[in-house]
This record gives sequence, structure tokens and C-alpha cells, in this order.
Amino acid sequence: MTESRGALIKRLEGQARQIRRNVWRALRAGGSGHAGGSCSAADILAALYFHRMRVRPKEPEWPDRDRFVLSKGHANAALGAVLAQAGFIDDSVLDRFYGYESPFGMHPDIKVAGVEMCTGALGHGLAIAMGMALGARMQAQDFHTFVMIGDGELHEGSNWEAALAASHYKLANLTAIIDYNKIAQSGPISELIEVGPLADKWRAFGWEVREIDGHDMVQVADALGALPFNNARPSALIAHTIKGKGVSFAENTYVWHSNNVTDEIYAKALAELGEP
Amino acid sequence: MNAPNDWRARAANQTRLAYGQALLELGARESRTVVVSADTQDLLGIRPYIERYRHRFVEMGIAEQNAIGAASGLATTGLRPYVCAYAPFITARSMEQVRNDVAYANQRVVIGAAASGISLGVAGGTHHALEDLALMRSLPNMTVIVPADAEEAYAATLATLDIDGPVYMRLGGRVEEPPLNSEPFRLGRAAQLRAGNDLTVIACGALVEMSVRASDELRKDGIHVRVLNMHTIKPLDRDTILAAAAETRGIVTAEEHHLTGGLGGAVAELLAVEHPTRMRMIGMPDEFAVVGPTTKIRAKYGMSAEAIANACRSLLNHG
Repeated sequence: MTESRGALIKRLEGQARQIRRNVWRALRAGGSGHAGGSCSAADILAALYFHRMRVRPKEPEWPDRDRFVLSKGHANAALGAVLAQAGFIDDSVLDRFYGYESPFGMHPDIKVAGVEMCTGALGHGLAIAMGMALGARMQAQDFHTFVMIGDGELHEGSNWEAALAASHYKLANLTAIIDYNKIAQSGPISELIEVGPLADKWRAFGWEVREIDGHDMVQVADALGALPFNNARPSALIAHTIKGKGVSFAENTYVWHSNNVTDEIYAKALAELGEP
Repeated sequence: MNAPNDWRARAANQTRLAYGQALLELGARESRTVVVSADTQDLLGIRPYIERYRHRFVEMGIAEQNAIGAASGLATTGLRPYVCAYAPFITARSMEQVRNDVAYANQRVVIGAAASGISLGVAGGTHHALEDLALMRSLPNMTVIVPADAEEAYAATLATLDIDGPVYMRLGGRVEEPPLNSEPFRLGRAAQLRAGNDLTVIACGALVEMSVRASDELRKDGIHVRVLNMHTIKPLDRDTILAAAAETRGIVTAEEHHLTGGLGGAVAELLAVEHPTRMRMIGMPDEFAVVGPTTKIRAKYGMSAEAIANACRSLLNHG
């Protein structure tokens, strides 16, 4: 039975809500963490893992799987949530974040099934994903590689080295998704070091660019479904998002880049997020 | 098997060319070999490889961070990347990528680092790599190899096929023939080049040949110095070092690297804990080197056969 478009969007929206609920759950278990950047990424992660990407959760090393690299690794709670919801890992790990000797710290680790690379030191993911896309081409494999980059992370010059190379090698099997929530750890990115105009920059580097509202699931699903945007270029999807999306007290404030999560805060967040 | 001859005829710094030539052999032996260059196609002599295996070659340009990140990504897809780069830049500049993307993620990436030590003496201090061993050997999972001559660089590069993890290959050794080692290269096992029970010189890279010369000079005075070519800095050949400490009256280390954190440091760390031993350390003092021809810089800072011989005499006479 084919899922109708309306049903697909409704399902993905529910799965994104569940990612957010699980983000707060994991951060409560850890006592603190990066709620803001995890929640801004939730809709895109839902659409990637539950709609666009070719993965086998019970066979995480399947060679033909699509790759996803979370370059903005501080959003690890969202990655853990989506991997648990998809069945890569046991759901109970979300109650054991930051546990002693746990592979679930603040940042992704390849010890976890479904995590493709250790990230969180910013500015690494695009080069790694570009290597994965090159590796696919060299071995005539047709998997697609996705990398999610934070906008503040674009301060790191290593991104632009990789952007040059991906364009030079015309890696149409590579997509960079910019989670453009416009707020970094210390405040608005425009007040730290401006990164815009982003679309112009990526186009100038030879990428095919689209901009969307990263919380409008119709736009997210359509954009991911249209990949590659150009058969001779890597794709850049600039997703305008809201830091801390879904919980009023966390939205659009740098305070929630990383913050303590008490039982009380968790209860307030869950009350706002509602049921999946 | 013998290495092909064309790099033997080249004038300078043959270890880097031997690495490139070994890649040609690796390309034939291992179909997953892929070479990643940071604008170093001639530096490491890989044009023959590129001509033959263009489909398994990527040029990353002057972008060392990107070269390492890409190599890590390539390795995750099952390929076996061999990076070609300048030692000072592929270590210090992209240290975080080497640490996180390669060592922490434990990817099978081999880093071929040419122009190490002060082999680019006239290029000046920005182009000297005198801290690379300290950086690389501080990384868990990393194997660190310092070939002493071209034959050893060739054999060591082929030996990386059997290493299940990241490798740093420091290139920049001896020019002259004949080969220093009479035994085949064995990863993690030092080669003994001279026998002797008075003292031991433990050397790597460019200073192995000078250590042999120093030993031969001292023999004329009746001093018998054992010479060990410690080509593998990590994992360190503990057994051979501890045997030398037990069987001889002191140890001199010799390397073209800062005295901080290199081969001498590795040997001292082991002996301080396992078998406290009188030592002298030959290497670059805690300063940046002057500009000049490599041989003159070595002599200025005491990285010479004469300085090694003097260190041996000092150790024997003063303990």
C-alpha cells in the first residue's frame, strides 16, 4: 500500500516531534546538553531517516547504505533519538546518556551502530563526507552521502577546503545540509562573525543550492526528494531553522545552545511538545 | 623482492621517492589502494602511480586538513588511503583531523610525510618538521615509522598492508647507498647494525647512518658500540631496548627531531620506569633551527657522527 503524500507528511511530523521529545529525555538523563541545535535539526533528521535515506537499521554496516555525517556533532541527542526510533540502537539508551563508559556522550562516536564518524570538533564533517562520496564513486557504489553542518560551524575554514574539492570533483552524490538556526554558543552568529549570504557563497563554490524552511515538512521532504539538485554538482540545502524549535523557552536563545536540563524543565518541555 | 631502480638514481632525499614507488607496487597488490595528494605529486614521486591508477588517485590541492578528512572518509568505504604531504603541514596544521578523523576513529589511513626534520633546511623554520614525532606518537592507535634509507622506506611502506589502523611514515633520510640494513624490515623490531657491549646507540631516520659512522670510529679506540636502527617509534621495541640497557653501560639516542617527545623521549620513558639507565640524547635542542643547508644545520646543533661519538665518550668517562 502506497502512503499518500498527506499521510507521509503527517507521519514525518509526528516522528520529528518524537525526536524532540527524546532529545529532552536524553538530555534529562545526562543532566545537561545541546537542546537548541538538536531541536533545530529534528525535522530534517526525521525526513532523512524515515523517508529519504536508504538504510537497514538491523544491518548498520550494509555497504550500500546511504551515509549521514552529523558534522555539528553537539546535536548528538537528536542523532541518538533518530537512531533509536529507527531501530539501530535500543531505545533505552536515551535514558543512559553520558553514562560512565557509555558510547553516548555529548558527541557522536562510531562505536554506536549507525553513527558513521566521530564528530563534534567542528569543521570536520564535510571533508569526511566528501571522502565517502569519492569512495562511492571509485567503487561504483550508488549510495548518497549527507552531511549536516551548523551555520556557526561554517566559521571553520576547513569547510571551505572541502567545498572546493567536492565541487571540483562534481560530487552529485554528496549533499550538505546547513542547519541555519543563526545562533551559536555565545550569541547571534551575525554578531560573532557573519556567515551570510550563504546561498551566494555555496553557489560561488560551485554547488547547486536550495533554501527551505527547515521546519515545514512539505518543503523538507520535497527538497530531499529532489536530490541531487544537479547531476554535475554537489547539492547544498540551506534549511532556515529555529534554535530550540518546539519549546517556547528554548527557542531563539543562545542560552539553550547548551544548558542544564532538570526534571522540572523536562516536564515543561514535554508539556509543550505534546504527543508524537 | 627488490625495489625498482628509478628512484635510486634520483639525487636527493630518496625515502620520499621510495614511498611513492612502493605505492606503485601497492596499487598492483591491493586493489583498494587509493592515493591522496596535497599538491605533492613530484615531491613523493607518484606520477607513475597516477598514470597507472588514475581512477584510484585524488588530488586535494594545498589543503592538508581536507586531505586527512577525505582520507578518513575514503577509509570508511573500505578503501586503503595513502596520503602524500609535507611533514610540517600534515602533522601540525591538520593535527586535529589526524587525531579525531584518523586516530580516534581508528581508520586505516597511511600518512606519508615528506620533507621531515630539517631536510628542507634552506626553506627555513616554518618548513622544518622537528615536532612531528612528538605529535604523532602521542596519539593512541597510531603506528609511527621512521625509515632510515630508501630501501627501508620501500619495505616499510609495503609492510603497512598488514597494519590494521593509522600509520605515520616519516620520510626524509639518507641519500647514499648501500642500504644500511642487512636484515629484512620487521615492523616493531629494531635492526641491529653494529654489535657491541660497551654502549648502545639507538637511532632513527637520518641519524642512523651517522650512528654507524660513530660506532666505526669508536671501534678504532677499542670502544664497541651497539647500533640499533629503531625504525618503528611506535609500537616501541621494548625487548630490544631493555636488553641493550641490561647488556651495555649506557644508551645514546640520536634523531633529527626536538629532544622533546621524539625517539629519545620514548626510550627515556621506557627506561625510567623499567630499567633506569645512563643516557645521552642527540637531537634538536629547544629552539627553532636556523636557515641553511641541512648538513650545516645538523652540525650546528650536534646532530652528527662526531657529536654521537662524543656523547658516547662522555657517557663512558663520566657516567
